[in-house]
Amino acid sequence: MVSTKTKNRSPEASAFYTAGLILLGIVVTAFVISLFWTPYSPDATDATAKLLAPCAEHPFGTDNFGRDVLSRVMSASKYTIYISAAGVAIALILGTIAGIPAGYFGGYIDKGIMLLGNSIMCFPGILLALVAVAVFGASVTNVIWALGLVFAPTFARVCRVGTMEIKELDYITHARVMGVKPYRIMGFHIFPNLVPQLLPATVIGLANMTLFESGMSYLGLGVQPPDASFGKMLSDSQAYIRVAPWLVIFPALMLVFYILGLYFISEGLRVNLAKGGKR
Amino acid sequence: MRSKIIKPAIAALALGLAFTSFAGCTRKLGNVDNNAVVGITQEPGIFDPHTVVAAGDREIIFNVYEGLYKYDSKGSLNPCLATDVAISDDASVYTFTIREGVKFHDGSDFDAADVVYSLKRAAGLLDNQDGVALVGELDSIKDVKATAEGKVEVTLEAGNTELLSYFTTGIIPENYDNCQAAPVGTGPFKFDSYNPGQNVILVKNDNYWQKGLPYLDKVTFKVCADMDAGLTELASGSIDIFPYLTTDRANQLDKAKYNILSNGSNMVQIFALNNAVEPLNDLKVRQAINYAVSRKDIISVTMDGAGVELTTAMSPAMGSYYDTSLDGTYSQDIEKAKALLAEAGYENGFNITCTVPSSYLIHVNTAVELASELKAVGINMEIKQVDWATWLDTVYTGRQYETTVIALTSDYAPYDVLDRYQSTASGNFINYKNDKVDELMAKIPTISDTKQKTELYHQVLKLLTDDACSVYLQDPATITAVSTRLEGYSVYPMYVQDMSQVKPVTK
Amino acid sequence: MQGKTGYFVGKLIELVVTLFLVSLLVFIAFAIIPGDTARVMLGPDATEAQVELLRQQMGLDKPLIVRYFTWLFGIITFNPGTSYAYNMSVGTLIAQRLPVTLGMSVFAMLMVIAISYPLAVLSARRPGRIGDQICSVIGHVLFAIPPYVASLLLILLASSLFRLITVGTYVKPSDDFLAYVVCLLLPSFAVALPKIAMSFKFLRSSIIEQRSSDYVRTSKSHGLSDLKILIRHVLPNSNVSSITIISIILSDILGGSLIVEQVFNLPGLGRLLLAAISRRDFPLLSGIVFYLAFITVLLYFLSDIAAAISDPRIRLK
Repeated sequence: MVSTKTKNRSPEASAFYTAGLILLGIVVTAFVISLFWTPYSPDATDATAKLLAPCAEHPFGTDNFGRDVLSRVMSASKYTIYISAAGVAIALILGTIAGIPAGYFGGYIDKGIMLLGNSIMCFPGILLALVAVAVFGASVTNVIWALGLVFAPTFARVCRVGTMEIKELDYITHARVMGVKPYRIMGFHIFPNLVPQLLPATVIGLANMTLFESGMSYLGLGVQPPDASFGKMLSDSQAYIRVAPWLVIFPALMLVFYILGLYFISEGLRVNLAKGGKR
Repeated sequence: MRSKIIKPAIAALALGLAFTSFAGCTRKLGNVDNNAVVGITQEPGIFDPHTVVAAGDREIIFNVYEGLYKYDSKGSLNPCLATDVAISDDASVYTFTIREGVKFHDGSDFDAADVVYSLKRAAGLLDNQDGVALVGELDSIKDVKATAEGKVEVTLEAGNTELLSYFTTGIIPENYDNCQAAPVGTGPFKFDSYNPGQNVILVKNDNYWQKGLPYLDKVTFKVCADMDAGLTELASGSIDIFPYLTTDRANQLDKAKYNILSNGSNMVQIFALNNAVEPLNDLKVRQAINYAVSRKDIISVTMDGAGVELTTAMSPAMGSYYDTSLDGTYSQDIEKAKALLAEAGYENGFNITCTVPSSYLIHVNTAVELASELKAVGINMEIKQVDWATWLDTVYTGRQYETTVIALTSDYAPYDVLDRYQSTASGNFINYKNDKVDELMAKIPTISDTKQKTELYHQVLKLLTDDACSVYLQDPATITAVSTRLEGYSVYPMYVQDMSQVKPVTK
Repeated sequence: MQGKTGYFVGKLIELVVTLFLVSLLVFIAFAIIPGDTARVMLGPDATEAQVELLRQQMGLDKPLIVRYFTWLFGIITFNPGTSYAYNMSVGTLIAQRLPVTLGMSVFAMLMVIAISYPLAVLSARRPGRIGDQICSVIGHVLFAIPPYVASLLLILLASSLFRLITVGTYVKPSDDFLAYVVCLLLPSFAVALPKIAMSFKFLRSSIIEQRSSDYVRTSKSHGLSDLKILIRHVLPNSNVSSITIISIILSDILGGSLIVEQVFNLPGLGRLLLAAISRRDFPLLSGIVFYLAFITVLLYFLSDIAAAISDPRIRLK
């Protein structure tokens, strides 16, 4: 986010920022408003108002419980943002902490870390989530930890490969020769240079996390009803795609807005960083 | 230059693909001629007629094995491999007359020795068994023997007038012990193969003792990932029959291609309250919850209206055993619910958890609607989904829960429905305890007068309702889609897919 | 040469250790989660005695640790054991499901390569032009569509509008290979869609990065044509990251086709895995996880080696 303040913004980057901020803005606005107000209570069922098509009273229609879809989409943005952001943050932190030293030191440290990472990656995420839920109970927080753990090795790999490339560069070698401490090299020289590689990985992580979360909702492991996330709303409304398409369209749109918005912003960042690096 | 070649090449490739897809998949439809494909959502597992318990297995092997008696689509018991039964006055000896001229699928003749072997095996009386009955309810059998006139005499430890329905258990050839891998029975269909995760295939039994039956040559029970995957297959025509749909899903099907059958299922959907935990151990709290719930809205939301409201532990599908005087005992009354909660000392409500099995959409949806309704009386219900294995382990057998939603299934026999409310019953997962109920349930099997027995059943039902032991919600209809190219399918008031009467529509 | 052999041996040891760790994780998971195979198979109506009987028949009465070591010993002797729930050899069960998952992975991967490579190359030739922008936007949108939404849309499109494919019809490759391919096309496409977008994005940016590097500019000034530069210099160098990406994608596809299998009702490994979890079938689950882990580790192993070969900076140790 620092680099948005640099002066040499290219028109390409600005276009990405604008598009990204608008799309993400829609989701974030919905989220912020939902904290104070929703048109209806998102959980209030009404058996007399089932599956109403969008109308003046319910702009996004109602679902099979007679709940207002607009209100639900608004409150779903909360869980989607929360779960994906917190999950990625955990994965990113764990991945960086493990990945950079692995790439920097190599040898047994590298081997050990990558072995553990590979083992986790090979382990079905669903089973991991099931264990987390069995031990700590079904809750959003546990799901986030499970997701963070499942996704950490991906970030570790990106960091490791990136570090291996960067550490061969002249200025790192110089720093090492001059006796700069390894943690300083890793923290202040290598990590900033990994950001361009980590950003797309983060966005992909956010997207994958959102998708994985909805996959877990299939098995009842994600967000618990009556709460919802976009992914859960989509999987719940699967059966109504023919008769009540609004149940699918609105959460799907919001999901696409969310991921696309993040995507564009990271693209803008990437363009800017690439330009900045060349200067 | 290059693009001029590439474009036609791509077009040709695309066209080729389109044609192969016609050729490839239409050829393999499989549901032509005398075959039928039934969609099931539970993976089958057990094919042994004596160890089978799960509903999803029983509904398949109903076509393979037959018992001395057999249910019909109305739920009445008819003689099958027996031609009749004589029950002694104290109901401790059942004497069956054995049908003649029946052959097993392996070609051997069916006789009294097979019956003796099968019943002994079911009751755990064979020499190599350690006395544990495979069919729990037949545990009370003391001895089985063939009489001189070719009849079979079953002696019980104590008189029991309620046992006939359990003689529907399958009869297998004498000394046969490989039913799990290679089922052999006398039913209208022979077991052909089981492909895990995919299907169970049954083929016609040409020597079936009921002449002219069955009509179909082959029946495939195809495993579908879930209800929605099954629906997709129905819509695309790769399944002919699909039971256990919800109304809103059934309504999406093409009416010209599918008939939608709807019937009471004899299931009891229950909002189970663990009577052993606070505050649910308080009668007033349980009654308040009963008054807070709108059964009509739950049926509307979960089954689109296709269900029968319940206020007691038995479905009206059970006929005269059901007590109509209990209808509407707990119709929704928010004020009364609040007053009862206040009396119990919970005027500000309380928090509670509902642990539901995530694999059953209807129960999850019910819990969502219940949570919304309970909020009106100040009860804050949090929903916790668990997978089926966890539910069985922690909720059902472990009884570590506060509330749950589940459907209780049973045979079409009143004793089987109410058995679980005895304080020592293994199925009493709600921890219900009422000495009067225990006493009545012990007395019923000794009564042979139907009228008196019905009266006792009514008393049990009344006690269960008065104690508000749980919230009885609905008997959800069994909704089945049947391809219009088939006829003769009937919906049973229990888990049964009777394929023997199904035949292609002749034009 | 010595170094290379050592490298391979080291990697091989890693592979074995990883597989052992994975199996240990499965065991720990099983020790923690509640549930019992016999009870799941018999359902709630079974009495405790009936459940106990089945448990004995299946050998479930032995403690889990004993069963784990039995299983581990079996694996070492290439015998993955017998599934509790299906009473069949785990190897047979996996082999039955393999054509679906493997076919889907291979087809999806082919689609990813066939679509994303040319598009990325074309897009990157003139970055910022209208064609590139359209490709990028479409790529972004595709990436943002969840696989099961894509599956549902594809099913609606293919079965309702064109009546091309009967959804849920699976044909074994041994019965009719062409029909097998056709039946897997649509689900493979659903799996491939987001991965196409992912691979496109990575390839495009790495090609652009490479193009702006000095050596490419030098060769350009020497009069080499665009295409030659692309094939000789840009692609091989961008391969380092693309190999990594492809192996990530492939393992994603292998493990992540579960929902697509579910929607299309295909009997693949993903659904078998889910069945094994839901029925608490320890030998079966261990077998599948072990197998998937083996493939994934092998892929990473190969991608590491490929990366090492195509980029001398990552030294073989």
